[in-house]
Amino acid sequence: MTLLSALGPGDPMIRVEGITKYYLGATVLDGVTLDIPSGSNLGLMGPGGAGKSLLLKIIAGLVEPDQGRVLVDGHDVGTLDAHKLAQLRFNIGMVFQNYALFDSMNVGENIAFPLRQRGGVPEEEIQARVREQLALVGLPGIAHQYPRELSGGMKKRVSFCRAVIPAPPLLFYDDPTAGLDPVTSSKIFIHLRRMQQDGGTTAITISHDIDGIKPICDRFALLDHGRLVFHGTRDEIEASDDRLVRQFWDGFSDD
Amino acid sequence: MSQPAQPGLAGRFLSAIGEPVVYTWREVTGVARMAALVFQYMLRGKIRWDAVAAQMYEIGNKSIVFITFTLGFLGMILVFQAGFQAEKITGDLQLLGALFLQILLREFAPTITALMIATRVGTGIAAEIGSMVVTEQVDAMRMNSAPPVEYLVVPRFIAGTIMMVVLVIYAVLVCYLAGMFTGLYAFNVNPHTFVNFAFVSVLDVAVCLVKALAYGMAIPLVASHTGLRTHGGSAGVGWATTQSVVSCSLSVVILDFILSGLSYPLLAAAG
Repeated sequence: MTLLSALGPGDPMIRVEGITKYYLGATVLDGVTLDIPSGSNLGLMGPGGAGKSLLLKIIAGLVEPDQGRVLVDGHDVGTLDAHKLAQLRFNIGMVFQNYALFDSMNVGENIAFPLRQRGGVPEEEIQARVREQLALVGLPGIAHQYPRELSGGMKKRVSFCRAVIPAPPLLFYDDPTAGLDPVTSSKIFIHLRRMQQDGGTTAITISHDIDGIKPICDRFALLDHGRLVFHGTRDEIEASDDRLVRQFWDGFSDD
Repeated sequence: MSQPAQPGLAGRFLSAIGEPVVYTWREVTGVARMAALVFQYMLRGKIRWDAVAAQMYEIGNKSIVFITFTLGFLGMILVFQAGFQAEKITGDLQLLGALFLQILLREFAPTITALMIATRVGTGIAAEIGSMVVTEQVDAMRMNSAPPVEYLVVPRFIAGTIMMVVLVIYAVLVCYLAGMFTGLYAFNVNPHTFVNFAFVSVLDVAVCLVKALAYGMAIPLVASHTGLRTHGGSAGVGWATTQSVVSCSLSVVILDFILSGLSYPLLAAAG
């Protein structure tokens, strides 16, 4: 981490305390509290509109909560000044739901952007790492194309490359395999697992592909209508008799 | 889902009165804060000149045809109307060009050009930045510690300020030439008679340029501020575009009122 860690012994890498968010008169997150230990990967599940992406943005400091606070590496995200927040974000890679690729930059420039922002990496190394990342997701030779020339699945993979290229200790994935075919999804999940094993990154993965995230996550949380219905380890979710948890975990509906 | 407490009748009444006031106050303070940030980044030398050049082309070069047509036609209409009235009342058109140039510099060229730029450029800036917000590109910038104001607003602010001055000077020329040809063909006023600087002082030119500078700063700031406040998908981009035209036009008119109010005592004192 670029910021000096303010973690005490046994403190989680990410602590979410009573996060509540109102939007247009409705409560979209209702007192969400959860801990994510260092080195673990939390699978964040829930139906569409449950507040998963919003929670992820609150943790990243992109959206301010109306109540509660988020501690990342021991730092209260809501109280950090612009400089310290920028430093903290250098430690976070994020794959966005809508790809969020910069239209004005080509693929290579998009992927290289986090490295150029951080500085200190020679241009030859940046180019080599961009090529390596693109090859890893099965898109070699598209560095000069622009996002408008890519399909949704290709954009998602480029977005994934941009998030992981600086090898940050924290990774947030908002539906990293949405719109991808099963083979590419599987490649992405394998890559996520490898990163988890190699680098010991702490990650939050939002996905509707429950079978895909089962092997890569060691903790799971289920949000429903802004409330945290479940939060625990794999053993705990497998033992849970909550109907919604079972529906998500086992993949069946009431109909 | 639990709902937050709803206000009562009195609360809703007060809210209906206070909402526009609070909204306007938030807009003005928001734009002022953004302006302060822009100057802060500029003073630190955080200027991406390649982006500035691209924006200068976008704001300036691509507005040339639009400004030529709008200010050209406006020049013809103004001279025709003024000549028609003068001919009816005094029958003397000797000072038509001199008076036209004075009002062109003091008022029409900077203000009409700015209103035109508010519609073409202001909407473009708000729509572009608004689209970047709803597609999470602005969030992606922030996650990479790239401040959106530094990356998106500073280049547009510098380019807008420079190009507005250039466009206003160009607008004066186009409008005056169009007026001169109208004077010649509609009222038979000789170009040598029409081109008359008798009523124009350095102060008139200064007022024209100060207005151009002020509008050039205000339009990118207001439009960028509106764009960055976009939310709610494509409908939000539509809202930002409309809001940008309204806010930019209003800022031009209010700035015109203030600057004219400040400059007329000086112009009157100078004779």
